[in-house]
Amino acid sequence: MTTTSTAPARPAPLFDDPQQSTARRILGTFKGPVGSISAALVVTLLIGLIWVGPAYLSPSNVQIVGVSVAIPLIVGVMASFALLAGVVDLSIGSMVGFGAVIFNQLVAAGLDPWLVALITVVVGAVVGLTNALVIVKFGAEPLAVTLGMLTLLRGLCQVIVVSAPPSTLIDPLYTVTQGAILGFPTLLLIGIGVTLIAAGIVSKTRVGRKVQAVGGDDRAAARAGISVTKVRVIALMVSGIGAAIGGILYVGQLGSASNVLGTGLEFQIYAALMIGGYSITRGGVGNPLGGLLGLLVVAGITNILNVQFFDPDYLDLIVAIILLAAVLVDRIRGGDSFE
Amino acid sequence: MTHSTTRGRLARLGLIGLAAGLALTGCSTVGSTAGGDSGATGAADDGTFTVGFATGGQPDADWQQLQGDVAQGLAEQRGWDFVELSNDNSEATATKNADIFIQKGVDVVMMFNGQPSANPVIAKKYEAAGIPVVTFDIAQPGWYFVGVDNAAAGTEGGTSLGELAKEKWDCKVDLVISAEGTAAGQINTWRTGNARDAVKKTCPDIPEGNYVSYEADGNLTTSLANAPGVFAAHPDAKNILVVGLNDQAVVGALQAATQLGRDGSIMGWGQDGGLITGDNVDPNLVGSVMYFLEGYPASAFEIADAIEAGDAPAVKDTGDDAAVSVKPCPVTAEEAASIPSIEDRVSQLASAPKGSTEYDLFCKA
Amino acid sequence: MTTSLITAADPAAAPEGRGGRRRPDRRGPAGYRDALSIAAVWLVLIVATTVVRPDFLSSQTLLAVTFTMSISGILAVAQAIIVISGGLLDLSLPVALVFSAWATVTALNNGLPTPVAIVIGILAGAAWGALNGLIVVFGKLNPIIVTLATGFGGLAVMLIFFTSAQIPSASDLRLYGLGRFLGLPNIFWPMVIVIIVAGLALHFTRWGRHVVAVGGNAQAAKARGINLRRMRLATFIGAGAVAGLAGVMFSAVTPSFTAAAGAGFQLIVIGAVILAGISLSGGKGNLLVLLLSIGFLATIPASIAFFGLPPAWALVFQGALLIIAVGIDGYRLKRTAR
Repeated sequence: MTTTSTAPARPAPLFDDPQQSTARRILGTFKGPVGSISAALVVTLLIGLIWVGPAYLSPSNVQIVGVSVAIPLIVGVMASFALLAGVVDLSIGSMVGFGAVIFNQLVAAGLDPWLVALITVVVGAVVGLTNALVIVKFGAEPLAVTLGMLTLLRGLCQVIVVSAPPSTLIDPLYTVTQGAILGFPTLLLIGIGVTLIAAGIVSKTRVGRKVQAVGGDDRAAARAGISVTKVRVIALMVSGIGAAIGGILYVGQLGSASNVLGTGLEFQIYAALMIGGYSITRGGVGNPLGGLLGLLVVAGITNILNVQFFDPDYLDLIVAIILLAAVLVDRIRGGDSFE
Repeated sequence: MTHSTTRGRLARLGLIGLAAGLALTGCSTVGSTAGGDSGATGAADDGTFTVGFATGGQPDADWQQLQGDVAQGLAEQRGWDFVELSNDNSEATATKNADIFIQKGVDVVMMFNGQPSANPVIAKKYEAAGIPVVTFDIAQPGWYFVGVDNAAAGTEGGTSLGELAKEKWDCKVDLVISAEGTAAGQINTWRTGNARDAVKKTCPDIPEGNYVSYEADGNLTTSLANAPGVFAAHPDAKNILVVGLNDQAVVGALQAATQLGRDGSIMGWGQDGGLITGDNVDPNLVGSVMYFLEGYPASAFEIADAIEAGDAPAVKDTGDDAAVSVKPCPVTAEEAASIPSIEDRVSQLASAPKGSTEYDLFCKA
Repeated sequence: MTTSLITAADPAAAPEGRGGRRRPDRRGPAGYRDALSIAAVWLVLIVATTVVRPDFLSSQTLLAVTFTMSISGILAVAQAIIVISGGLLDLSLPVALVFSAWATVTALNNGLPTPVAIVIGILAGAAWGALNGLIVVFGKLNPIIVTLATGFGGLAVMLIFFTSAQIPSASDLRLYGLGRFLGLPNIFWPMVIVIIVAGLALHFTRWGRHVVAVGGNAQAAKARGINLRRMRLATFIGAGAVAGLAGVMFSAVTPSFTAAAGAGFQLIVIGAVILAGISLSGGKGNLLVLLLSIGFLATIPASIAFFGLPPAWALVFQGALLIIAVGIDGYRLKRTAR
């Protein structure tokens, strides 16, 4: 990063230059945070290959990483729309747990899994809508509202699950969440699919530009005729729905849901998203591809420590340092500086 | 525009690296299919017997980390390989750990899983991989159960406390508080519930309305935060008994009683012996049931010895019919005073003859 | 330059450059109104519980509530100082708490006299604050992100280096933690003193006025000649020292604790600050309202116990109340802005 310190703050263009070729545009995505996080991923892979050996990229190890990163990826990509629109949603971890608990308990009660999945997703949407109502309609601080929702939903999990939760092994869901297609984890493929779609929406569609515009400067967006309210309501609902889906997938993967499932997940996900170029304090920045890479870096390091049987406490320390380094690099490159 | 080109180069470098990584994945896929099913981490299965050990990872319980330390010592004694992971008190991590141990190709797995809701899935994985599992304290069909008979431990603790109440207060008890840890599931029902039932049995005349429960979450800080309201809500209760999931939960309630000036006549009987030894025992913790949790690996390694010798014992997987039943050791506070602290017990166990359990070494020695 | 988007959803937030703060006289009527509305809700809760359980109004309830208020109250002051100074939020306070408690207990276990141990505990908190402050000031990084990182990084380090810590049961500090003064727990009084002293300092000292000025509009404060870096660093160190005192009190009432023991305080402390109307955008806040909001939040678990509900309901109510409170607050701001 030798030359970056002289780089002037250059705001991301709101609308892509239509004359740019597709190839250039894709490459353009890799400039900025996505570029440096790609480099970090390469370094991670190299360290893994050197320390662990070729087995680091063996199918079984890719499977382990894929299975563990896929659900946070799906939840994180959906939540990233809220970040992009400038409204951080801290309740996603508790919503993952709450979604999982509802899904697990109702399936165990004998209801049809598809119906229950639908109910769970609707609950996620309602939670997102509630957040949005208080934040957008009443103008409350997103951090405060979603922190309240985090507490409330965790409380509900504990109210519902008071002793050992029932076990619900749903075979098709287990196969999807733990299985592989052609040697590649199925769920990670789905997660990457979701990421690519989201990246497409963000960088290529009018909807994506609107979200970025609202997150970047809501007044300017409003003057440009964009409905700030609508964008933020939908973004928060997408975030809630993503967390509900994450909960369902966890039940598929783990066969049950305790009342602590998803505790602290929001900070793990946001730490990874921030490493990937998002900001929890500023809207309009970040790309789902960066989020994917950020999660992969953290998962890759976790896995190196795991397969070398290293004390996992060091992981949090390493993630903390990488997070600080990432926001520092972003700041030096011309991102937000705090005075 | 120099910075921009540099960044472009960096980005391209990143892309190339990614591509290389993906290509390598492909190659190793081919390699591994050709090479058969050998231990995937290439950490070459050199034939040495390998123990995979997963600690509970609940930061409130230091015995969980000590279990790992004890196990490591026992493995070194035998010249075995030893690999350790932490379940991090998370069902998702515990499930991932199973995949890692299977990939490593360990010969036996030992674990404490404090969030057992995913145990059926974990069991399915180990069964498919043909790896025997020793579980501590939380039973799962198909796994060797090493642990205390939790149901008996609860009953013995409750009975001892009931006897004390009979002797001191003639069973005139105004309040029986259960400091629950519902996340522990069945274990909580056995320890806390059975202790409560045993008090009921010993002192049958305590009115049903005098029994109350609250969530202590198995740790002192949470218990101390939630208990004050319980005492305040029963302002007239004088003679108070406390049972609970573990010593931390019970001591949290006793501390709250002290803060509210309700420690005039209160007696708590803990479980697991976590806070009954050492210099700073709560004066109202009149006893506990010691299981010598940190010593469980000694029992697990007896099973591992048999497995290593190619003579795996039949799986006994319930608390009633356990592979190794750790005898609960109910102790009063006075008896506990002569029992060494947890660190000293660990070091003494390490130098004790093979096959010794902590129960033999320390219970009412 | 973008404004902090934590508050961006609030259309009343003044955009940077326009300079005007949205509540010029926020210490006056607004503080009163916050105080009155919290006191009113608190009263409703007390009346409702008393209707169901007349014995709710007792010295036992008072003891339970004041005990619950003590440590979270001191921590909330630390958090409030950060928030008012425009430092957004300190997510690493649980680490500051346990780190200083551990330092205190370690000092006592090594035979150091009680006053020295207390000073060591407070200094440990200040040192932790200094670490955060240095990273924020010299990295020019957002404090939420910095303290998120130092929060889990610090917990990791503590988990690596110590398992559990126990205060000597015969030490003066331990006996202090078990005692009472004027019928209330001993540890309640330092909390009251901290709130009063910090509240007075914020309003009446030069330092306090600078904290509020920097929090209200950093650029304007800078233009007036306030050294932002020194101010920020001093704020983090000061808040850290307050958190250190919370740690000392925590060690006095908790006979055995582990590295993760502070986690339970995080949400309640942030909730109390927000409920007290101390805006995350900085520059405003009244610590007496904070005292009310801590008292109110501490009453909820006691009420729950009197209703005979499982304590998990306390989380549900606290979460719901936080949402409702910030909703009402936001709505009010929106209306006054029109």
